[in-house]
This record gives sequence, structure tokens and C-alpha cells, in this order.
Amino acid sequence: MSHDHTPTVAPTYSIPVGPLHVALEEPMYFKIDVEGETVKHVGINAGHAHRGIEYLTTKRTIYQNVVLTERICSLCSNSHPQTFAMAAEKIAGIEVPERGIYLRVVADELKRIASHIFNVALLVHLTGYETYFMHMMQVREICQDTLESVFGNRQDIGAMCIGGVRYDVDEKSIAYILAQLARIEPEVRDFIKTFKSNGTILRRTKDVGVLTHANAITCGVVGPVARGSGIDYDVRREATYAAYDRLPLMVHTQTDGDVWSRAMVRLEETITSIDLVRVCLRDLPGGDAHIHDRPDIPPGQAIARTEAPRGEVFYYLRTNESAQPERVKWRVPTYMNWDALRFMLQDAKVADIAIIVNSIDPCLSCTER
Amino acid sequence: MNFLTLFARNLRTGPQTEAFPLGPAFTPEKLRGRIVFNAENCEGCRICERVCPAGAIKFAKSPDGMTFDCWHNTCVFCGNCEFYCPTDAIHQTNDWNLAHVQADKFAMVEHGLIPNMKCSDCGATALNTAPMVKNVKPPLSEAELGEVRSRCPKCRAKYLKNRKVPS
Ligand code: SF4
Ligand code: SF4
Repeated sequence: MSHDHTPTVAPTYSIPVGPLHVALEEPMYFKIDVEGETVKHVGINAGHAHRGIEYLTTKRTIYQNVVLTERICSLCSNSHPQTFAMAAEKIAGIEVPERGIYLRVVADELKRIASHIFNVALLVHLTGYETYFMHMMQVREICQDTLESVFGNRQDIGAMCIGGVRYDVDEKSIAYILAQLARIEPEVRDFIKTFKSNGTILRRTKDVGVLTHANAITCGVVGPVARGSGIDYDVRREATYAAYDRLPLMVHTQTDGDVWSRAMVRLEETITSIDLVRVCLRDLPGGDAHIHDRPDIPPGQAIARTEAPRGEVFYYLRTNESAQPERVKWRVPTYMNWDALRFMLQDAKVADIAIIVNSIDPCLSCTER
Repeated sequence: MNFLTLFARNLRTGPQTEAFPLGPAFTPEKLRGRIVFNAENCEGCRICERVCPAGAIKFAKSPDGMTFDCWHNTCVFCGNCEFYCPTDAIHQTNDWNLAHVQADKFAMVEHGLIPNMKCSDCGATALNTAPMVKNVKPPLSEAELGEVRSRCPKCRAKYLKNRKVPS
């Protein structure tokens, strides 16, 4: 009889998470080495969802591409065409009418409200507080109904065009949007209160997935992930565009860099977004919302960047004599943010992996396009 | 809000989901759905075909004139065609009821025809398109519009050039 005392379970082993991940419903594969319950090393394997959209943009005209870029990502679906249009407008020297730039902010911020509530609701879902998750999604539904009623679609709102916005608002729709915001705002304030007091949420999110300020800078993270780690950076303020320089934009930061901080940044930004829409609708200048012709975009190159709900979206556009662009390249926030997962997941508990991954609000459809 | 408050509220308000298909679904007036084409207003400029990102719109010559087809199974309901159409010949209705059985997949098409006509001036065969006269000043009267419409492109240009502008 042998006296083999080697334990039957090795103390370290690696587990696959993904490619169809619980938090994302998007394909991403993590190879996670654990020691007992604790994550020791994270290998990120991306590239499962390549759709060749960058190539496709060079097969379509600039005007068709406004629609194609909107379909890169469903939650940032307004930021992509807006940034693309900004780059094209820069090349052609197109000036967007005043009313157009205010309406661009309205569209952008309404989408931000929907996106932020969605992400924080998913976080609540992952903590297991299903009742509250349903409640948050129901509040988000008010925003989705608003998008559908004002723009004609819940996700691809089709607000942007080269030289302005495609939609316009009248007295009736302004009153409708304001009434909907008045329904959303108290609920979001209640989310904030709940996030500060609810034991279930606090226990699962405080001091979990910490990204220190120094590591945040190392990874070059953007958006709410950066602001949750105390980096006071928002493209809407740093490289202002549309009407943001005239609006009371507040940039929210937190210092702890944990899952809770990132969620709190998103919730506070939702309140700011509501305020921004209100101010825009109050100060809305008259006139046209878009230019009236379809000018050719001359040869040239330009970059543009905006603050999408997930952070900075960066576009590079090069045009030539043809109607199709020669090259379109974009850099999306998740590209930098997922790198930071290596730090956030270090020494985390296996049970927290989903919560931490969700906290960067990953979007793979745009990162892998 | 804590769990018990939410629970009590949900008991009071009942389910939030829509009763569809047993009841009507929320459909805003502006919903961008099924495409409708109105050949009467079409200028035949084919801008819609050019700006359509999906390639859903196809114009083609036929013995009777020019046909318009919009394939609803290709359309992404972006609304570019309606937005860039200089007249209101093409627009999106809020009808989203586009589910269909496999056998009907080639029937999900909005079809239209811009018919041929004989030019009232030179007698040549031409398309009976709506005249492109948006920028003509002063605007044409109803009678003049009819006059222009009945002509072929060449004669239309001639008519507009020779038009006596009342001062
Ligand atoms: S539907 Fe409109 S855009 Fe298309 S050809 Fe006719 S007038 Fe032109
Ligand atoms: S709605 Fe968009 S995809 Fe559909 S026919 Fe019009 S331009 Fe094409």
C-alpha cells in the first residue's frame, strides 16, 4: 500500500472564462490561473468577433458610412457616427448649424443615460439582487421609450448626419422629453442612495477590482474607469466639441478605483446628462438642424474624438478623390480598459470575476469590429 | 428603495411587460419601420439608391418605365433614403410588422413604377417623373407644374428657360 500524500486537487489550476462570458453576452476569453479561490494571473484572448467593419467602410461612401458606423456598437451607437461625421466635417470644412450642435448633445446624452443605467443594472444583476436589477431596467425603459419616440429607434437612433442632425424637436417633443427626464431623475437619485446604503451591493462592490490611480495611468484607461480611479479627464471638457463648452458640464471622479467607484461615477454622470439635456432644450437656438446639401468630401485626413459612454472614442479618416474613404480607423475605450483588467483581477476572488469584468463596461463588438 | 418597497410596488402595479401579441405593443408615431414609395412624387434622381447603406433600393429600366424596388429584408431602417430624398417620395411608416414566413421572403418588397409617357412637346418617350423645380423662382403654379411634367427632360429645360417670369 502506498502512502502517497499528494493532494488530489492541485493548489493552482487554470480556469477558462468565456468566450461566451456571463457578464458580457459577448465573446471574450480569459484564461485565469487561480490559487484556491484567488486569481493569480489573467490571460486575455480577444478577437472572436471580427466583422471586418473597417474594411467595409472603405467600400461605402461617406454618407453610407454614417449608418454603418452607427452599427459598430449598440450602446455607443450615437458616438460612432458623431465622431465619424466630425472628422468628415473637419476635412470638408463644413460648419454645423447652432441648432444642430445642441441637438447633437441631446442625442448623445440621452444615449449616455440609457447606457450608464444599463451597465449599473447589470452590475446589480451580477450581485444577485434581481429585483433591483429589474427595477433599474424598467427605469432605463423610460429612456428607451424616449429614444424610440423622438428618434424612431431604441438603439440605432440615426440622429447624426454629415453637417448636423437628422432629427428635430418641436414644442411637443421637448415637453415629452422633459416629462420623461422628470420621471427618470428621482429614480436615478434613488439608485445613488441605494448604492450608498444597500448592504448586498456594498459588500460585493466595495474594495473589489481595485485599479489604483498609478495603474490607471499605466494602462491609459479612459471614461468612467479612469474617473473611478481619480483621473479627472473627460473629452467633453478637455477637447470640447458640439455645444459642451457652453454647457454646465460636471466631471465626476471617485478615488477608490473599485467596482463601486466606477458604478458611482456612472450614476452621477447620469444625473449630469439629464441636466445637460434640460439646458440644451432650454437654450436651443432656432434655425436649421443640418446643412441642406450633400457636399463632396475632398481629399484629406482628419482625426476627431468624443466622449462615448464608455470613454474616449477616437476616429481617423482619410479621404481621396473617390466617394469612399481611403481609410477609417477608430480606437474605442474598451481597448485600453480591458488591459486594466489584469490589475483589477489580480488577487480577486473567482466569484468576483464577472462583477469586475462588467465594471469596465466592456464592449467587444466595437473593439474587435 | 429596498426590496420590500419594490415588492409592494410591483404587487400594486402588476407586470410591466407589454401584453403583445395578446394586446397592442408600444409604437410611437415616429418609429422608423416599413418603407413606402410614392412614384407620383419621385423625381427619379436616384439619390435614395446612392445613400442607402444596405443596397436595399434598386431602380431598373423596364419596358413600361423605371421600376423601384426596396427589399425590406435588406433594409436596415436607417432612414437615409427618406432624409436625403428631395421630395417626399419615399418615407418610413411606423409599421414594424415585418415578420413573415420563409415562403414570403421574396415578397417583402416595396415596389413602384415611374411610368413612361410621351412628351407633350416633341413626342419622345420619357419617364413621367416629378419635375425638379424646387429651386425655380418664382415657384411654379399648378398649371405650369403640369405643363413641365408632361414634357421630356430636354423640353422641360426648354420650357423653364423660355418661361416668362411675371415681374
Ligand atoms: S425616391 Fe426620392 S431620392 Fe429616390 S429617386 Fe425618387 S425623388 Fe430621388
Ligand atoms: S431605410 Fe436605409 S437601408 Fe432602408 S431603404 Fe432607406 S436608406 Fe436603405
